Amino acid sequence: MTLTEIIDSFKTKLDPSKIMNSLEKAASFNAESENDSEGNDSREDLKINPYNNSGNDSAKSSNAIRISQNGEDPLIKLTDVWKIYQMGEVEFAALKGITLEIYEGEFLVVLGPSGSGKSTLMNLLGCLDIPSKGKVCLNSKDISELDESELALIRGQMIGFIFQSFNLIPTLSTEENVLLPLEFQEEDRHISRQKAAYLLDIVGLTDKKKNLPSQLSGGQRQRVAIARSLAVNPPIILADEPTGNLDTKTGDYILGFLDGLHEREGKTIIIVTHDLDIVKYATRVVYIRDGEIEKIEKRTKNEPEGLK
Amino acid sequence: MRNSTYLKMGLNMLLHSKLRSWLTIIGIVIGVGSVIGIVSLGDAMQASIQSELAEMDLTKITISPGYTKASSNMHGPPGMGGGGTSTDAELTDDDIDALQGLDSVQYIAGEISGSEEVKYTGETATLSITGVDPQVWKYMTTLETQSGRLLEPADKYVAVIGSGIASETYDHDIGVNQVITVNNKSVRVVGILTEEGMGDDSNIYMPIDGAVDLIEDAQEDVYDSITVKAKSEDLVDGLTEDIEKRLMVSRHIIQEDDRDFSLTASKSMAESVTEMMSSMTLFLGAIAAVSLLVGAVGIANTMFTSVLEKTKEIGTMKAIGAKNRDILMIFLFNSAMVGLVGGILGVILGSFVSSGLQAMMGSDMTGGGSGVRISLMFEGLALAVMIGVISGVVPAYRASKLKPVDALRYE
Ligand SMILES: Nc1ncnc2c1ncn2[C@@H]1O[C@H](COP(=O)(O)OP(=O)(O)O)[C@@H](O)[C@H]1O
Ligand SMILES: [Mg+2]
Repeated sequence: MTLTEIIDSFKTKLDPSKIMNSLEKAASFNAESENDSEGNDSREDLKINPYNNSGNDSAKSSNAIRISQNGEDPLIKLTDVWKIYQMGEVEFAALKGITLEIYEGEFLVVLGPSGSGKSTLMNLLGCLDIPSKGKVCLNSKDISELDESELALIRGQMIGFIFQSFNLIPTLSTEENVLLPLEFQEEDRHISRQKAAYLLDIVGLTDKKKNLPSQLSGGQRQRVAIARSLAVNPPIILADEPTGNLDTKTGDYILGFLDGLHEREGKTIIIVTHDLDIVKYATRVVYIRDGEIEKIEKRTKNEPEGLK
Repeated sequence: MRNSTYLKMGLNMLLHSKLRSWLTIIGIVIGVGSVIGIVSLGDAMQASIQSELAEMDLTKITISPGYTKASSNMHGPPGMGGGGTSTDAELTDDDIDALQGLDSVQYIAGEISGSEEVKYTGETATLSITGVDPQVWKYMTTLETQSGRLLEPADKYVAVIGSGIASETYDHDIGVNQVITVNNKSVRVVGILTEEGMGDDSNIYMPIDGAVDLIEDAQEDVYDSITVKAKSEDLVDGLTEDIEKRLMVSRHIIQEDDRDFSLTASKSMAESVTEMMSSMTLFLGAIAAVSLLVGAVGIANTMFTSVLEKTKEIGTMKAIGAKNRDILMIFLFNSAMVGLVGGILGVILGSFVSSGLQAMMGSDMTGGGSGVRISLMFEGLALAVMIGVISGVVPAYRASKLKPVDALRYE
């Protein structure tokens, strides 16, 4: 099975017509939570959802070989994964034999104190790094066997990243930042602009689209980052301490938004954090300490009031 | 990623770049500017020398008394250069006789020269007088008259004067058929030469028979120089050798070192002037090239720093789907753009510098041609972009090879 086929198998599984159409609610939540006085009116005229238009979507041909994804095979599977950092003469094992299966549609929270290896784990899940030992399989494909451009393709089409420090490109405007992942996928410019406009509308930043990141508040920056992570409509969202640099209220909005993506869009959300509060959104919690899994806990989601 | 996106990203980086990048650009501006300036100045000088040479008679060989190796084929005016090592060396009729009968010779003529006081309407000026053979002079010279005529075989106390003497030396202009006084002897002006911009403008030409009487230390049948004109340019080199051999024999010289005469072919003189010009242009061009090299190192340095500064951004871009190639191209386009902007400003600067220099040197030196060739401008731009790309290759490659995790961790 080729890489494109793997990626396509995800694309075809996601119903483009269903995607994103209920996010407006999350956006209106934002208008209440942050008193930014964003224009609600402009949002009204923007009813067209460019992600609905499956014909023009960047998703490649749907005649790719489908693989069975009946919720039985894991989306991501880690088997005895070690990550060992070489610091001069000294070796340091940041991950010590992690075995974990992540299934489609999960809201997974990886919880652990600082230095426990959460980011290291996150990098492996996001195909930013390969393990020193053990196997990381994405849809049964060992990522150690993929070359640089194949990994880039997976990152670009299947995974949306959200970072603690937002990681926006400081010289690009809000809109250009959201457009960037689409540029890497060579999406049609016209459609790209529609998508960016749609996403900026959802996160309530339409009137800030020409601003540089330095002209935005922390919360606004993270909303741009979320819009960017959704640009290619990836099935997986990976967030590393997404609320770490935000106040509680703004943090709650961001989490509510991610929860909405999980609930209504069926996206697989993986959040890595040391913040116990986030656990309430999770369908499963992985406790990690000193590079080892302490315990795994299945949960029934405890919906926060704000989104009901 | 599409090329247009690379271009946009590269430009975005340039526009948001720090003072450092602009200082780097100045390096390229100076480099390209000096290359353009020097090359176009060299072009102009070359062109003017070429046109000067086109007017020159390249079939002439001048024999002058005395011999110094260094001056043997470089220095110009007969009788002035040469710096005789043997003071008693003279050129006489015997020498002319010795050269008669050489196949490739068209004309042979002896010349004398000197400086004398020349009076006109009560004013006195010291002017140089050249006595020439009126039989052949008009066939040998490339000079032309603006009024009157050149010397004729029957002339004796008549003169053809340079345009400078006619119109500038004296308060009153001298016209054809007017009389000047040389050493108390009346000499009638029969012709005025066209302006040359060179020494001939202030020279007086007379038949040698007349001049010998007027120039104080001149003697009958003794010449300050002998000019031999070859039948064609191809024959000059062979003829030069023949003349040398014949004169050595007739003057009873056995060893090269004892030679007491020098030969100057106008052809080799022209060649050495052209050669000198192009080696000068080459030398200046090399200096300019060094400044370009310094500019290139500057770009490379700035690019390395910029890659370092943008490490985290590179990590982010890789996380959201950038391939190594994308990162490589973004940085290459950026450094190409640094080169391009530097090139554009450099071409402008170079054009100003070269037209300024050409104006300063005057139209004589540069043949009045001003400005910079359009093709040279484009060459300058292409060069600048190329330098930008070349000096960006290594930093851009490094950026592209950064591991996404390491880049993201970088603070
Ligand atoms: N590139 C690296 N080189 C050396 N040590 C590293 C590197 N990355 C992480 N570490 C170490 O690995 C451990 C886990 O780091 P990390 O995964 O960032 O923890 P967390 O995100 O849970 O705070 C830490 O002790 C950290 O110092
Ligand atoms: Mg971390």
